[in-house]
Formats: sequence, C-alpha cells, structure tokens
Amino acid sequence: MSLRLFRRTWAAQRLKLLAVSIGLLIWGTLMPIVYEAFKEQIQFVLGSGMIPPELAQFGGGDLFSLAGTIAVGFIHPIAVALCLVFALGFAVASVAGERQRGTLEVLLARPLSRRRIYLTLLFATVLFVAIVIAAEVAGTVIGTALGGALGELRPERLAVMWLNGVLVFSAFGAVSLAASVSFDRLAPALSVSLAIVLVSYFLEIIGSLWTAAKGLQPYSLFHYLDPRGALNGTTTIGDWLVPIVVIAVAVAVALTVFPRRDLAAPS
Amino acid sequence: MGGPARCSLSGVDALRTEALTKHYGRPHRGRLPAGPFVPALTDLSITVKSGEIFGFLGPNGAGKSTTIRLLLGFLHPSSGRAEVLGLDTAAASVEIRSRVGYLPGGIALYDGMTGLDLLDYLGQLYGRTPVRRHDLLERLEMSERTLARPVRDYSRGMRQKIGIIQALQHDPELAILDEPTEGLDPLMQRAFYDVLDELRVAGRTIFLSSHVLSEVERVCDRVGIIRAGRLVALEDIAALLARRKRHVELRFHGAPPDLASIPGVTGIVIHPGLLMCQLEGDVGPFLAALNGVAVADLTIEPAHLEEAFLEFYEGEERDEADLRAAVPSPRAAVAPPAAETEPRADDRTGAG
Repeated sequence: MSLRLFRRTWAAQRLKLLAVSIGLLIWGTLMPIVYEAFKEQIQFVLGSGMIPPELAQFGGGDLFSLAGTIAVGFIHPIAVALCLVFALGFAVASVAGERQRGTLEVLLARPLSRRRIYLTLLFATVLFVAIVIAAEVAGTVIGTALGGALGELRPERLAVMWLNGVLVFSAFGAVSLAASVSFDRLAPALSVSLAIVLVSYFLEIIGSLWTAAKGLQPYSLFHYLDPRGALNGTTTIGDWLVPIVVIAVAVAVALTVFPRRDLAAPS
Repeated sequence: MGGPARCSLSGVDALRTEALTKHYGRPHRGRLPAGPFVPALTDLSITVKSGEIFGFLGPNGAGKSTTIRLLLGFLHPSSGRAEVLGLDTAAASVEIRSRVGYLPGGIALYDGMTGLDLLDYLGQLYGRTPVRRHDLLERLEMSERTLARPVRDYSRGMRQKIGIIQALQHDPELAILDEPTEGLDPLMQRAFYDVLDELRVAGRTIFLSSHVLSEVERVCDRVGIIRAGRLVALEDIAALLARRKRHVELRFHGAPPDLASIPGVTGIVIHPGLLMCQLEGDVGPFLAALNGVAVADLTIEPAHLEEAFLEFYEGEERDEADLRAAVPSPRAAVAPPAAETEPRADDRTGAG
C-alpha cells in the first residue's frame, strides 16, 4: 500500500465522505424515532389489511420490533444509495475514471506497482464504506436514544451489524474496483457495476415481496445484509461467508487482470 | 538528499531494445480465428548511450508513444525485449520508473490541486528530493503565484511546463519526454532547450520523442526515425545532415562549369548566368571544379533535418508503392499501416 497515494485519495474524498456520513447519520437517526413514534399506528395499519401482506415483507417483514425497523432503514433505497456513493461511485472512478481523464499516466510513471495502487484503492474503498456505515450505526444509536428505547440495543450487536454492513458493501466495492481496473473508460466499468447492484437489489426485493421468487434471494448480495439478524443474534454463516468469498474472488480477479493489462495511450 | 546512483550506469547503455514488437489483436493460431491484427511496433532495435540526447522522430501514430509505453511497462511486448538503465522492462518496471522521469504526451493533471501541491505530491511518490525544481521553475518562468493557483486555471503551455518540471524535478538518470515542447511558446521552447543542454552537460540521458524536426535537429545527438511502427533510420544528426543534399545556387560570368562528372552533384539546372544543383557529401571536388570559373555569387544552403526526414519518407513510400505494384501484399489488404491505425485506449480490448 502507498501511504502517499492514500493520503491524496483521502484529501480528495474527505468532503464527500463528510457529506455522505452526515446523510447516513441523519437517516440512521430517523428509523428508530419513526418506530417509537408510529409503532402502534403501523401495527394498526398492517393489521387492518389495508396494505397487502406482501408489501409488509419489505426489509425482512418485521416492522413490529426495533431491530426490524432498523433493518428496513438499512435496506431502504436511500441508505443503499448513500452507501454506494463509495462502494460503487468511488471504486469505479478510482482507476477507470483516472484512466479516462489521463491522470493515471502520471501516477503510473512513479515507482508504484499496479498491485500497490490497487491495494491502496481497495483499502480506501473499504475504509470509506466502514466510515459511512459507522455513521449510519451511530445515527441508529442516537435515534434509539432520542426515542427512549436505548435499552433495547446491545452494543456488541451493533458492532456485528456494522461489520455485516461493511462486509456486504465492501463486496460491492471490490466488484466495482475489479471492473474499474478492467476497463479503459468509466462508462463500461460503471455499467457493469451498476448492473450487478441493481440486479442484486431487484432479486432481494422481489424475493422478499413475492413468495414464488424467494429462491432468487440467495443470488443477491443484499440477501446477506442482515441487520435484523445481527441485532437479534441470528445471522447465518452465509451472511459472513458469501461477502467474504465475493471480496476474495473480486480481489483475485483484479490482482490478476490489472498488472497484466496493456494500458494504451489515453484517448 | 536522494540523488540517483550515478555510478551504476558506467558501461551500461541507458536504453536498449532488441527486436521489440507490439501488435494488437490476435493472429491466426491453431483453431482460433484471427482477430483484428494491428502492428503498432515491429522489430525495434535501438541503443541509447548513457549521457546522450536521443531523438525519436516520426509522424503521429508512427509508434513513438507505443515504444515509450513499452519501455515504462505500461504495455507488454508481443515479442522482443527492452532494457532501461540495465534493467529488464518486463521484470523491473518499478525500479526503472524510480530512476526515470517521464513526461507523457498531452499530459493530464489533477485539476483540483494547485501547481505546487501537484509537484509536491508527484515528487513525494518518487521518494526523492526535487533537487532541480527551483531551477526549472525559474527557467520556465513559473512564479510562486502561478503555482498557488489550481491547475484547472492553467493554460495549455503552463500545464506542459508543470509536466516538464514534474518529470525532471528529481533529477532522473534518464528522462523520457513525449512531445515535450507541445504547447510551449517559442521563448519557453528555447528555455527548455537550454535545460536539455544543461542536462546533457550533467551527463543525464534524454529520450525525446517528437514530430518537430527542427527541435530534434537543435537538441539531439542521435535520431531514430520511425515509420508505421518500423525503424527506418538510426543515425547521428551530424552524419544524417552531412549525407543530405545541399542546395547550391551559383551565379557566374561566361561559360558554365562542367559539373556533370563531379561526385555528389545532381539535379543540375543551367540558366544564363545561373546554375542550380544539389550537392551531397564532400564539398571539395565541387569547389575544385569551380577553379577558373568567374563566380559572381555562390550560395550553398545547409541541409535541414526536415528535408532528410521527408526524403526518408518519400523514399519509403516509393519503395512501398513499387513493392505493392510488384507483389500485392495480403497484409496491406487487411491491415492498414500502423501510422494510420495505432489503436487508442477506447478501441481495443484491455487484457494484455
């Protein structure tokens, strides 16, 4: 890893990191407050049959507990989009974007191996993901405290929830970074990464809303994002193993492809 | 101070390539069909001596940048090999880059950084003190105020100057400069040539690619001329120029001199009182032939590299045309010359 490259990356991303962290902190704060303020109304609405039971399955189908409400917040498109600013946006642009702009030339002219550049950017991606998810977890704690339900949360379970989130979004980050080092232009790298995220999200949501499509959920990385299981202590081995395997495969692909690629003159 | 190990180059060529070849696409192999095959560089064998300023000359798309990218390890050779500072480019690319300064053609910089931050950052990545920076900033007239501005506000010439400074600020043993004067005004070009002269005196090696002939003629000791990915000439600038035809214009009184049998004299055109011809090689026999002629005026225009260069290209084109007329080339039918087709980043597959 190159400390100087990392410092420069940090300096270039710190404002964005701050903005996304604040966004997720606020979002994380909202869900427990919503739960405390409206849990009875939600129970009433769901019990009345006004909402189709399939829709109530979104995010794990548990809107009657604090853990379930927090889980809905984690899998909600707003939270996912904010986490993907770094897991997808930063990762994709970090090599393919620099390559397209031509700035990778200047970097590669220094005595840095491509592996070292890649590992530095991978570290940055994972760190940024870890920070923004920590902000979301911190928001969850603040919101729970504001709602007066802090006693329902166990600190060690919060750490497990954070780690699970970091692993899943780092898996997306590793895949995006592998795409980034494989293409000369941003558009194809972004297209591939975005397609993986969207298909993954679609499979998870359609599987949670439609019983017949439940079998598709294991093919989605989001299926292994399990904040409710983390808070309740019911995560499965798959919730940990699958993201780790995806990260390992993506890293292996990137470390094989990037050093062997021909980097032609940027157009 | 992190100066380079100067002694390491004694007896070692700064740069050497052996039949270095790069093509894109896939030739027909076994049961696999052939892909689009584009030769970018074919059998390049050159040696650049330590302390030399070597000009690598050719039109756009001839293979100059491909060669440089092979030397720096950005591209992997299809065949052949290259050594830079005695190190194999395939095995020691990182070490090579720690001892080389590189100016990419049409350099792109981090627009959000100030010029000073950028120079600091790029210098730090070398891990060496930028011992030449102050001198280069002065010579290329980059003030502190200019350096404090973001790069996005820089003109093309200023970006090029920053590019030159970042390549040379750490005093590399070998500088590889791709079209270094692109975007510089004539005054700055002259300042840059002075910098090169100083580097030459200091014993540094410069590999300079250019399509500006006067530039190569002005600063280089030797020149390699490349065309369609093939080296067509590798000579001392002085020898190349000495072999070129000079234009002679002779004004005389009385009968014209008989120059037809003088070695090196061609293209004689005689008008009343005026003789024009081309003169190649030793000027002695020509002057001896003028003995006894009533010379009113004599102009021998020095040969320029541009003419030498154009002659090379015209000659090559004639040869190729002759060859095509005699034997239709199947390759020519399917793959146009690399001069027109050197692939860019967006139209070739990434995997090498």
